[in-house]
Amino acid sequence: MPQMKRTPQDCPSRLPENTAVKQQQLPACRLQLSATGILSGFFATGVFCLGMGVILILSAKSSMEIEINYTKICASCAKLRENARNFDKECTCSIPFHLTQTMRGNVYMYYKLYGFYQNLHGYLLSRSNSQLLGTDVKDVETCAPFSKSHDGTPIAPCGAIANSLFNDTIILSYKLNSSVHIQVPMLRSGITWWTDKYIKFRNPSSSNLSSAFAGTTKPPSWPKPVYELDENDPGNNGFLNDDFIVWMRTAAFPTFKKLYRRLSRTQHFIEGLPAGNYSFNVSYNFPVTRFQGEKSVVLSTLTWSGGHSLFLGLAYTVTGAMTWLAAFSMMAVHLKLKGKRFSPDDKVKL
Amino acid sequence: MEREPAAAEEPAPPGRRWRWRRRRRREGRKRTVRSNLMPPPGAEDTAAGAAKGARRRQCGGAQHLADNRLKTTKYTLLSFLPKNLFEQFHRVANVYFVFIAMLNFVPAVNAFQPGLTLAPVLFILAVTAFKDLWEDYSRHRSDHEINHLGCLVFSREKKQYVNRFWKEIHVGDFVRLRCNEIIPADILLLSSSDPDGLCHIETANLDGETNLKRRQVVRGFSEHVSEFNPLTFTSVIECEKPNNDLTRFRGCIIHDNGKKAGLYKENLLLRGCTIRNTEAVVGIVIYAGHETKALLNNSGPRYKRSQLERQMNCDVLWCVLLLVFMSLFSAIGHGLWVWRYKEKKSLFDVPESDGSSLSPVTAAVYSFLTMIIVLQVLIPISLYVSIEIVKVCQVYFINQDVELYDEETDSQLQCRALNITEDLGQIQYIFSDKTGTLTENKMVFRRCTVSGIEYSHDANARRLAKYQEADSEEEEMVPRGSSLPQRGSIGSHQSVHIMHRIQSTKTHRRTGSRAEAKRASMLSKHTAFSSPMEKDIAPDPKLFEKVSECDRCLAVARHQEHPLAHLSPELSDVFDFFIALTICNTVVVTSPDQPRQKVRGRFELKSPVKTIEDFLRRFTPSRLTSGSSSIGSLATKSTHKSGSSFLSTLSNNSTLLRLEERLGQPTPAITSNGYSSGAEGWSPEPAAREQEPERELEQAQEQEQELRYEAESPDEAALVYAARAYNCALADRLHDQVSVELPHLGRLTFELLHTLGFDSIRKRMSVVIRHPLTDEIYVYTKGADSVIMDLLLPCSSDDARGRHQKKIQSMTQNYLNLYAVEGLRTLCIAKRVLSKEEYACWLQSHLEAESSLDNREELLFQSAIRLETNLHLLGATGIEDRLQDGVPETITKLRQAGLQIWVLTGDKQETAINIAYACKLLDHDEDIITLNAESREACAALLDQCLHYVRSTSPCSTPEKTMDNMSVGFSPLGAPSTSTTSDPSPSLVIDGRSLAYALEKNLEDKFLFLAKQCRSVLCCRSTPLQKSMVVKLVRSKLKAMTLAIGDGANDVSMIQVADVGVGISGQEGMQAVMASDFAVPRFRYLQRLLIVHGHWCYSRLANMVLYFFYKNTMFVGLLFWFQFYCGFSASTMIDQWYLILFNLLFSSLPQLVTGVLDKDVPAYVLLTEPQLYRSGQHMEEYRPRTFWLNMADAAFQSLVCFFVPYLAYYDSDTDVFTWGTLITAIALFTFLLHLGIETKTWTWLNWTACGLSILLFFTVALIYNASCATCYPPSNPYWTMQILMGDPMFYLTCLLTSVTALLPRLFFKALQGSLFPTQLQLGRQFTKKSPKKFNAPKETFAQGHLPGEMRTEPAEQKSVSTSGPLSQDCTLPVSWHTQQPSCSPEASGEPSTVDMGVPLREDTLLAGLSSQTPGSSMPEEAVLEGCPGDSKRKPTSTSRTTLLSSIFNLPTFSSLNWISSLSLVSRLGSVLQFSRGSLQMDKQDSEFLPSAPQPEQDLKRADHGLLLGASSRDCS
Repeated sequence: MPQMKRTPQDCPSRLPENTAVKQQQLPACRLQLSATGILSGFFATGVFCLGMGVILILSAKSSMEIEINYTKICASCAKLRENARNFDKECTCSIPFHLTQTMRGNVYMYYKLYGFYQNLHGYLLSRSNSQLLGTDVKDVETCAPFSKSHDGTPIAPCGAIANSLFNDTIILSYKLNSSVHIQVPMLRSGITWWTDKYIKFRNPSSSNLSSAFAGTTKPPSWPKPVYELDENDPGNNGFLNDDFIVWMRTAAFPTFKKLYRRLSRTQHFIEGLPAGNYSFNVSYNFPVTRFQGEKSVVLSTLTWSGGHSLFLGLAYTVTGAMTWLAAFSMMAVHLKLKGKRFSPDDKVKL
Repeated sequence: MEREPAAAEEPAPPGRRWRWRRRRRREGRKRTVRSNLMPPPGAEDTAAGAAKGARRRQCGGAQHLADNRLKTTKYTLLSFLPKNLFEQFHRVANVYFVFIAMLNFVPAVNAFQPGLTLAPVLFILAVTAFKDLWEDYSRHRSDHEINHLGCLVFSREKKQYVNRFWKEIHVGDFVRLRCNEIIPADILLLSSSDPDGLCHIETANLDGETNLKRRQVVRGFSEHVSEFNPLTFTSVIECEKPNNDLTRFRGCIIHDNGKKAGLYKENLLLRGCTIRNTEAVVGIVIYAGHETKALLNNSGPRYKRSQLERQMNCDVLWCVLLLVFMSLFSAIGHGLWVWRYKEKKSLFDVPESDGSSLSPVTAAVYSFLTMIIVLQVLIPISLYVSIEIVKVCQVYFINQDVELYDEETDSQLQCRALNITEDLGQIQYIFSDKTGTLTENKMVFRRCTVSGIEYSHDANARRLAKYQEADSEEEEMVPRGSSLPQRGSIGSHQSVHIMHRIQSTKTHRRTGSRAEAKRASMLSKHTAFSSPMEKDIAPDPKLFEKVSECDRCLAVARHQEHPLAHLSPELSDVFDFFIALTICNTVVVTSPDQPRQKVRGRFELKSPVKTIEDFLRRFTPSRLTSGSSSIGSLATKSTHKSGSSFLSTLSNNSTLLRLEERLGQPTPAITSNGYSSGAEGWSPEPAAREQEPERELEQAQEQEQELRYEAESPDEAALVYAARAYNCALADRLHDQVSVELPHLGRLTFELLHTLGFDSIRKRMSVVIRHPLTDEIYVYTKGADSVIMDLLLPCSSDDARGRHQKKIQSMTQNYLNLYAVEGLRTLCIAKRVLSKEEYACWLQSHLEAESSLDNREELLFQSAIRLETNLHLLGATGIEDRLQDGVPETITKLRQAGLQIWVLTGDKQETAINIAYACKLLDHDEDIITLNAESREACAALLDQCLHYVRSTSPCSTPEKTMDNMSVGFSPLGAPSTSTTSDPSPSLVIDGRSLAYALEKNLEDKFLFLAKQCRSVLCCRSTPLQKSMVVKLVRSKLKAMTLAIGDGANDVSMIQVADVGVGISGQEGMQAVMASDFAVPRFRYLQRLLIVHGHWCYSRLANMVLYFFYKNTMFVGLLFWFQFYCGFSASTMIDQWYLILFNLLFSSLPQLVTGVLDKDVPAYVLLTEPQLYRSGQHMEEYRPRTFWLNMADAAFQSLVCFFVPYLAYYDSDTDVFTWGTLITAIALFTFLLHLGIETKTWTWLNWTACGLSILLFFTVALIYNASCATCYPPSNPYWTMQILMGDPMFYLTCLLTSVTALLPRLFFKALQGSLFPTQLQLGRQFTKKSPKKFNAPKETFAQGHLPGEMRTEPAEQKSVSTSGPLSQDCTLPVSWHTQQPSCSPEASGEPSTVDMGVPLREDTLLAGLSSQTPGSSMPEEAVLEGCPGDSKRKPTSTSRTTLLSSIFNLPTFSSLNWISSLSLVSRLGSVLQFSRGSLQMDKQDSEFLPSAPQPEQDLKRADHGLLLGASSRDCS
């Protein structure tokens, strides 16, 4: 009863303040669309979606994509790889194909895996970021079950993700003419996120890469240790190997593609990939048939709106169409009601 | 001190505590208090020095008795954490969330970083803990403040009163209090500066009553002449254990010499009260600290669960089921997945550390647990927090509403319960008190009847009419404010220290300016019931003349032997009547400026007669010589010990001398009677001389300010003011005498022997006085007419006097009925003259009763009943209790809003019905079923009958099995039918006794069924218990939301039982408010509270809860769909931080703003279209169907929000968490858009909240994704957001997904809005059409209908559809249809009856009743009345009133009595007459319809197959 303290003279009443907030009288716009309002809204949305859809479809059409599934083509190799004991046997296979149109612009080469679950709960967790950052090569705590080899040596890079590294090598060669095959120049760099390559992944500091990884062992399914991933380019070796980094960025779905190489636009390939006969020479190492997976190689150009996928454009178009449909039906209802009932400016309520 | 003599001095505290416990058990229900100053018994022989005293004080501090330290804090620094956590874990939700978090610590199932999942739980716990801590701290601060208030305590060392803190007061201390001080503990009053040993206290802080209460010094201590010396106090006080009953205190004080004296609540000063009008008092502390009654009464705030919340909890359970289902599904999926890949040795396989892979079953189990963690968001942790926040804000806004502010009382609505605001929007039944709730509780004397002659007080009526006009014209100008000063939570300790009463020194004259008037009204507030309207009564000239004549006659005759004998019986009655009005009450006269200081030498030793000896001394020598011996023997036989010996010890010679002197004083009558033993005989002159200074003082005061009457009830004040208008003014009231000022007689001082206070069982109060003029002992009784009339002296019809008296009684009864019909409150005034012998006889038993320790109340009650018999009726008064402003309008609105209003009142039936008409609760157009039964069987029969009637008139919705038994030949007699379409439901009036029967187990269903059919129900003469039983019945049986509103203590139980209790902070104190959930200043505010705020609160909260469920389901859906693409391995694409923060941070603010501020329909539309309220009653916003639709929409939206991005990013090189971030953003946008659709009003706050939400998400995401490269496994979202925001795909997908997800909702909403709009939507549309500035067209809006009104809302449609066909082929009214043919010929024969005006119709009916022969004519007539085929009735009859009133109370007839059924369209035309068979109706009194009882009816009824049970038939 604080009021009773006051003397009558200075006793202000308990009259609540008459402010807009306290009286809940804030100026407000009611979301109350008239029939015309809501119909025009629907129509506008429809127009936008249709337009967007058309643009997206056109842009997707303008990009080119070639996918070659080589699971079956290299069946013999696949068979060989199904037995884990044959891991050290080489197996290559060549997949010829014909490019009917020139792929203009930047051409990217992807490998694509079907039915490979990179988003498994346990799989996702099985990596050691601090190891990959190079601070402590022997920090393999979070990598279970691929943290240490049988003799207790820490694995570098540890974890299930690293262990399952995609290790096919794919070389694209261009049949300039019937006899001359030239290897299409491909860049191994620039296929990762810049931040991955320069911030998240670091080799342990040491004069020599192999000594840096001393005291660690290679992941069980790797044929060679991590510091031999790319012996030609020291900047692409160890944890800094682009393929490795790309692999470590786990895919969202069991079917995914990962950037493998990008076209170096030199010589014949300044314009892109010219039309003609090509072949992929695959060193088949990665076993997929064991789990009924498939793999393919993809050549693709990109546009502003992403890749070759038509889905977004189609989705926009369909949404636009649906919106129009809805708008028309509402208009019909509205007109019917208008004749039947209320005043002409009857509203559709929200 | 409550200490065992032997144990008291033992210095070993640990053993002591144990010993105390044991002793307590042994000791039972008594507490013994000794003076702290005394050496305890057994220690007297040891040296009792100062050091010893000091030590004892320390001991005293350590003993088990609560000291006066106030400690309301729950925690100490050490106990805070464990205790608070313990309390928090009483919430199931908290336990659940902690369980989830703990589950995360199990390595095999951990979904997130273990610490992370703890974060939200810890956050919630911490916030709650912090809130508790803060509250506790503020409690601690206020405790500290109170504990350190000062007061004077007698110190043993200093031998004087010293200042001590409150907390240092102990039981047994002597405390001295001065005027306007607050009482620090429960104190037994031992001494007062008042010469009469009185002390006035104001209990406003306990019960809100501002009138002064009188307390008196313990008997035996008032005789102390000199100042009370605590050192001489050696008595021991025995009293009850501390309890919380404010109205009761029992005990006795045992003096050294073994004598006992009783202690009553009049001796106790309660903590928290304020001393008024008394200079200083001294008392001994009986209860201290937490054992005081005030603190024991101070229970914490109430916790109720609202219906919405209950429903929500049910849906939460559904969510739990869904969660389990999802987890199970996922677990099975994972098991299958593992089984499928078991032999494959795939590269992505993550085996156990020993290289083996998990068995599918184990994997499934782990997956199940992990899924529970992942999907925990489904059970919204933030929902509970958000709801709390929203409710607090809602309460705040309700409190702040200017329109709920009452200028007169300067109070706004208080929400006392914080968590049931939305219940206000779902109320179906309102149970209202009448007096003080519907009416103002400003009792205005309207008219009276004395000695059988009515005085209509026309001038007074005109005066009141003027007030009414003034009210309506300019409300503020009339200083009507007579209610209580502002008070907050009274009785709570926090308010104890702030009680400086506004001491006003100004009169409240009507001044010119409005502000002045208002101030004046505020100033006058602290005298309750004294607005000018109540005070200034214009006397009736006839009666005024008679009173003056009495006065003159008596002034002349006062010295003669029998002064009253000179008056005619009528004049004598008039005189007695006014004397009774003046003194038969407990009104205290005060002059508020000065505390009462009377230096009166006259009656130093005077008190109400307390002992037989006292009585003997007062009366013996002259009168009772003959009877003295017998009485003396009685006295010696009496077990009461405080006999003459006690008296003699207390009174030394001087007091005895004074006693002698006093005995000489009484009245001239004694003197003339030969008694002259006193020193100087009594004569008026000395008395006049002695009174002179006082009178001068008072006259001086009167020029400045008139005397102020402080009454406990407004009726009393009204009567006293009425008497004053007739120059019979109450001048002074002491506890032993009352002075009445008369113009000619001067001041008459009545010796007040006893006051038998009012109680609700006796329904009357009495005073026993000695008349100064005749020296006879008079009993004046004032009470409800129903009881007084039964207590009258049965007058023989033999002599003329008796006949005359009988006539007077019947006349008075007639007038009483008339008053009741006018809606006046009636009181009967009666007197009884006691002979000395009778009195002595009664006194004997009364004293025994008074001094008994055990069932004192019971005995006193018996004693009062013995006194109040054989009364002589003086007259009766009619007091008007005006309706509060806006009550009829409010009731109409509430009715339109679909609320059923029941009025439960203690008033008599006629008054209640009249008030009900006045406030439009009853309509003249509608039937009234009156249920008055005097026995259980009669009640049952009547109920059946009424049910039948109701069924025949209104749709028979639920056939009842009992119908078969009674349907044959039983038709609604005397019940004119009403067309079912125009007037669907009658109203029910039931009296208290019938209610008692109806509430019995076997009848309650019938009663309820009947009441349900009725439009309104009026329960009269109901007790508080019945009120609460009715509410409980409706609440439990009908499963309806109930609201009880009342203002007085008698409504408390009802308020507590109802779902929502509303208290009116009116004139009757604060008990109702204290018990209520909401306190409103006036009834009319209920309209806005329910229709506007209730609707808003409900709609807001319902929508918010639905939105929450939607949001969580949709979000969880996203995670669930992902499981199909990750082998059900319980992995999440959304970063765990987003998962955790999403609900807490990103998406919480907008919905809070909407939940707090959204107004689906603006206030003015709600008020003009009250039927919009029904949406809440039918739970339209939040019902199972809406919930599941909502969930389905959530599922759809989650599908869209998952698969559109999935397909868009299918066959791309995106990684899990980038895609997850995209999904998160999409979800956020969708949520906000969804909220946008659901939000009806967009203020800048909504915009800000939404903007902030998006901003927050992106800011947090950007910062989070840039802060640390490797810190957040497993997602490692470094630079993800930045990359994502550079990708146009991101925006394209967001846009498309949000639009697609919400299109269907928008579409269906739009379609539904135009095809099947709900009332609310129409209301909204209405808002748009009507201009914002909304002034003149208000009326038209109120009248007009919504455009879509013709299509009634679903519920109504339903009822119509069920009713329509059923009434045609209903099986129940078979008898009805069979009887119909019989009625038709007669019906055609009597069209005139039907066409005639209402009174005439009633007449004919009555005539039919009275002239009827035992035969079958009656049913036929009745059927005629009720014949539905009579088409002519429908258009013509303006009022159909059915009265199924059967009265079984007459000893002679005791059968069904068909009393008049009547309409009150013209109130004079016909009057409800309830047969009080013993009273003869005055035949010439044409206003009253004779209602001759019909004994034959009983037979006839039996003939007609109505089995009324044996009792009623036996009686005939």
